[in-house]
Amino acid sequence: MTFLVEAYAFFYQLADSFAFLVLCGLGLAIIFGMMGVINLAHGEFIMCGAYVTVLSARAGLPLPFAMLCGTFAAGLVGLILEFLIIRRLYHRLFDSIVATWALSLIATQGMLIVAGPSIEGLKTPFGSFELGEYSFSVYRALLPLIALLLLGALYWLFVHTRFGVYSRATIQDANMARALGANTGRIYSQTFTLGAALAGLTGALYAPTITAVPTMGQAFIVQSFVTVVVSGADVMLGLAPSAAVLAFIQSLLTKSYGQLIGQIGLLLTVIIVVRVLPKGISGWVLQRNGGR
Amino acid sequence: MPRWLALLDGPQTLGRGPAFWFVFALLVVATGLLPAVVDAFAITNLTYFLVWVFMALGLSIIWGYAGILSFGQTAFFGLAGYTYGVISINLGDAGLWTWFALLMSLLLPAVVAAFVGYFMFYGGVRDVFVGIVTLSITLVFETFMAQTAGPEWTIGSARLNGFNGMSNMPPLTFPWGETPIVFDGPSLFWLVLALVVVVYLGLRIVVNSRFGNVLVAIRENPDRAEMLGYNVRLYQLFVFVIGSVLAAMSGVLYTLWGAYITPSSMGLTAAALPIIWVAAGGRKDITATLLATVFLTWLSQQLAVKGNQYALIWMGFILLVVVLFAPEGLFVTVWNRLRDRRRLRRVATARKTVSLPSA
Amino acid sequence: MATILQTRGLKKYFGGLRAINGVDLAIDAGELRCVIGPNGAGKSTLFKLILGSYPPSEGTILFKGEDITKLQPHLRVQRGMSIKFQVPGIFLQLSVEQNLRIALQRAHRGTALDQALERLLELIDLGHQRSELAANLSHGQQQWLEIAMAVAVQPAVLLLDEPTAGMSHEETFKTGELVKKLNASGMTIVVIEHDMAFVRQIAKRVTVLHFGRVFDDGGLDDIIRNEDVVRIYLGKV
Repeated sequence: MTFLVEAYAFFYQLADSFAFLVLCGLGLAIIFGMMGVINLAHGEFIMCGAYVTVLSARAGLPLPFAMLCGTFAAGLVGLILEFLIIRRLYHRLFDSIVATWALSLIATQGMLIVAGPSIEGLKTPFGSFELGEYSFSVYRALLPLIALLLLGALYWLFVHTRFGVYSRATIQDANMARALGANTGRIYSQTFTLGAALAGLTGALYAPTITAVPTMGQAFIVQSFVTVVVSGADVMLGLAPSAAVLAFIQSLLTKSYGQLIGQIGLLLTVIIVVRVLPKGISGWVLQRNGGR
Repeated sequence: MPRWLALLDGPQTLGRGPAFWFVFALLVVATGLLPAVVDAFAITNLTYFLVWVFMALGLSIIWGYAGILSFGQTAFFGLAGYTYGVISINLGDAGLWTWFALLMSLLLPAVVAAFVGYFMFYGGVRDVFVGIVTLSITLVFETFMAQTAGPEWTIGSARLNGFNGMSNMPPLTFPWGETPIVFDGPSLFWLVLALVVVVYLGLRIVVNSRFGNVLVAIRENPDRAEMLGYNVRLYQLFVFVIGSVLAAMSGVLYTLWGAYITPSSMGLTAAALPIIWVAAGGRKDITATLLATVFLTWLSQQLAVKGNQYALIWMGFILLVVVLFAPEGLFVTVWNRLRDRRRLRRVATARKTVSLPSA
Repeated sequence: MATILQTRGLKKYFGGLRAINGVDLAIDAGELRCVIGPNGAGKSTLFKLILGSYPPSEGTILFKGEDITKLQPHLRVQRGMSIKFQVPGIFLQLSVEQNLRIALQRAHRGTALDQALERLLELIDLGHQRSELAANLSHGQQQWLEIAMAVAVQPAVLLLDEPTAGMSHEETFKTGELVKKLNASGMTIVVIEHDMAFVRQIAKRVTVLHFGRVFDDGGLDDIIRNEDVVRIYLGKV
């Protein structure tokens, strides 16, 4: 009996890591994976979503609405930043790295000054359930399902809607898309905003489970990049497998050697993947199936 | 004039001619005389600003001259610091042991850099992925060092000490009869200043030489460089190792300056700083990089003293403004504007003295 | 006549696409050969295989009698090959003079380098623009700059991939004279071209590539008379 409990405890941990990596990676997968823009402020979009969610909930909004607020807030900030800054940097790789890092610095420090080192958090909804000597949070057990649902929704968006098809076309070949009538400027803007909003959603979803601090972005950014790099450019194909593999490695190492070793395992994985599978999991799969 | 000396004024660096070198010499002498004029605290501060120059110059030649964006400088910085700590704590400061520790602290990162460079450049890792791999390596070092808190993490008699880092390592000591020379305070300042001058001049010669020409060629068009017969990957490996030795120099000198080294010197924020200095000043020129590093480290210290919290925000804004309006770097852009204006004035004066044929 | 460059059974697949599908080519030392063929025939791929940008899926490449199939590109260049890419591959943000210096410095030093530099500048008529940024040159001048750089490494075999693309009639003619002059000094030159007037100006022997295979080979007049060649070009000749 205890074996089953232990097994579930590991599975729970695995699923929790999986959800974290998928949700972290989603927004960045759109912006970096699809658009090729290195957004080092990605963690701060997550922070924005978390903070707005917490503040809205504390102001009286029911949690789901507060989360929507957080998502919209991050999306709005993304829209503004894309208009003011990002759109000048699309073909300037180094400059976009430096600029988004600058934004990250400003956002982190700014939030520290405006809101202080931490704000009072929210209670995790739905309580917990017990198995053997372990107690699990219901909410966090649900997050993996939400992550998969979001992936499904994104798939539908990018494959079955007009916006999605235009977006993928523009990203693949902007000139051609323009020749076919797509307003590429607006599509870049919308896609970036979507990525920012997804990051905000991640922050919103995790807001009830963690203490929101201004430097929380840094905890997310490394995980996000690792997941997206291992995934490769095709988000639908690669993100879930990437998160699964990484969650497995991290959970295994954390269980045996502690969290810091788990983190090292993650980093070593991305180093090896960059060398061995430079196009990530999705690139490797596509290549094997006869693509270029 | 021997040909190598003429390289000081070559195509890949800004500033040349007697006027420039006169100002340079003046600055060096003036700085060297400072310990006689200002108090010990100011000297210690100035040493601190100069310590970072080497790492920034290393990043400049890797990124600005060879076109490789590496986040790995802080990894070699930290590695060098810890190496010096471990060796000097174990071997003590008698005789020339501290200098041996210094040498090893430059050598070990170089060896590690050679392996990392081989792994990347000969493994087909390019562009942004070099940044990702080097940042990951830096964070691996940081995370690894952070979890060395327990007493079992000891090398010889040196405890690694996890988050709190190592401290109390002996300063550089040179045996001199009865009382050995200890390099701290003004003597450390002069040592660092001398090293800055030697490294700066040496790099000027290197980047303007045939080697430097190839680096720039690789930056501009690596395929064309290869098709002119250059072993591109070997050059990339080489410049990466040189950059790592420079970062290591900063690491050792920082450790000597403060007698401590911690894992946070290899963290995410620490990894960002050299990028900020180099990008703000102008990565494609070592003079601009040097000036920007000293200026920005001074600036952030001033801001930290006066309005603590806003320091990093100002840094962020400076960086943003530079990227959007002067992407070549602030110092480089200003220099180029001045130079263009000088050229136009020269052309205008020349035109005035030429008599034009009447129509 | 000694064969200086040879491919045997050369094949290159990109996934399902057979870009090069069995090419046997033999270039003699001192020859001036044109390679023509409709778009997608594999001409540029052939050059890239010869230079070593990527390895062939099958087959061997011999240069001066040595099997270089597994040799790295920069080593092939050091052995005496050189290429001018289809898209100008020069150092745009460097001056004309710097571009040529970098090309020359492997083989020359000191005053010999300066002299070689002057000769090249004269060859492509850019002496008065030596300090100009390469990016500011006209397209034709950039092509010439790249040819000069390719020549600077003193190759035994020079590969030119569409050297007259985007050039005016006048520039095309001058390029043709330049190519003939280089060939007259003993350099083996292989040229990929679409411009038939240019081919006519310089070619002695022509190889036609189609669907990754050698379709026809011979003097220009014989090639033109071949109805199949005319057909695959769909009236381009």
